[in-house]
Amino acid sequence: MGSLPIANHIRRLRFEAGEMTQSDLAERIGMTRQTVAAIEAGKYSPSLEAAFRIAHVFGVGLDDVFQWTGGLPEGKLSRSD
Amino acid sequence: MLSSPLQLGNIPMSFREKSAWITLVSVLACFGVYFYELIAGRVDGHHLGALHSLHLLLFAVVALVGLQLALTAIAAATTPKGGRAPADERERLIQWRSHTLGYYVLTVLALLLFVPIHFGHSALDMANFALLAVVISTLTVAVAQIVMYRRGF
Repeated sequence: MGSLPIANHIRRLRFEAGEMTQSDLAERIGMTRQTVAAIEAGKYSPSLEAAFRIAHVFGVGLDDVFQWTGGLPEGKLSRSD
Repeated sequence: MLSSPLQLGNIPMSFREKSAWITLVSVLACFGVYFYELIAGRVDGHHLGALHSLHLLLFAVVALVGLQLALTAIAAATTPKGGRAPADERERLIQWRSHTLGYYVLTVLALLLFVPIHFGHSALDMANFALLAVVISTLTVAVAQIVMYRRGF
């Protein structure tokens, strides 16, 4: 499987939030520790709802947690176009 | 501990992932012996009768249940509380995808059951072919789950 086009800063945000563990984060967003580990490792893209929950736990916006690193499909116009 | 030799990458193994391994190992072991005995009996020249086959099948099913109970108890005892939390979105997707794949495999194998009919196989043989189809689709589901749990999704 290729790497997902979404990067995240969950590890850093956990560290900045008093070294919150993956288990703590998992419990607060209603997910398993395995799923948090998979998201953090960039192996699984969470649903929009789960992404918002993660951002809410850290008190930041979605863009501060996740970044789109893939390009647009060929033939699609970017917003600036 | 059950998880350590099977640990891949750095994602800890959940109880549900261990369950997939338990299904894989127990079904492979019990029905592996069952089908080996059937084939070995045929190679030796003596067909196993319907009653003998039924006894062998009952033995395989009882062994499967016993093995699964024992391994599940070990898995539950060696999995931290967090690993036994209710399934979340990723795990539900893994379940859904793996069972869809297993369904396709079972469908193809069920259609292939028409082939041995043309070669004059007995009703007992046909029952065993059908059982083999179920076993293969079950193994497919377990392998698909293990692969998806290990790679993240």
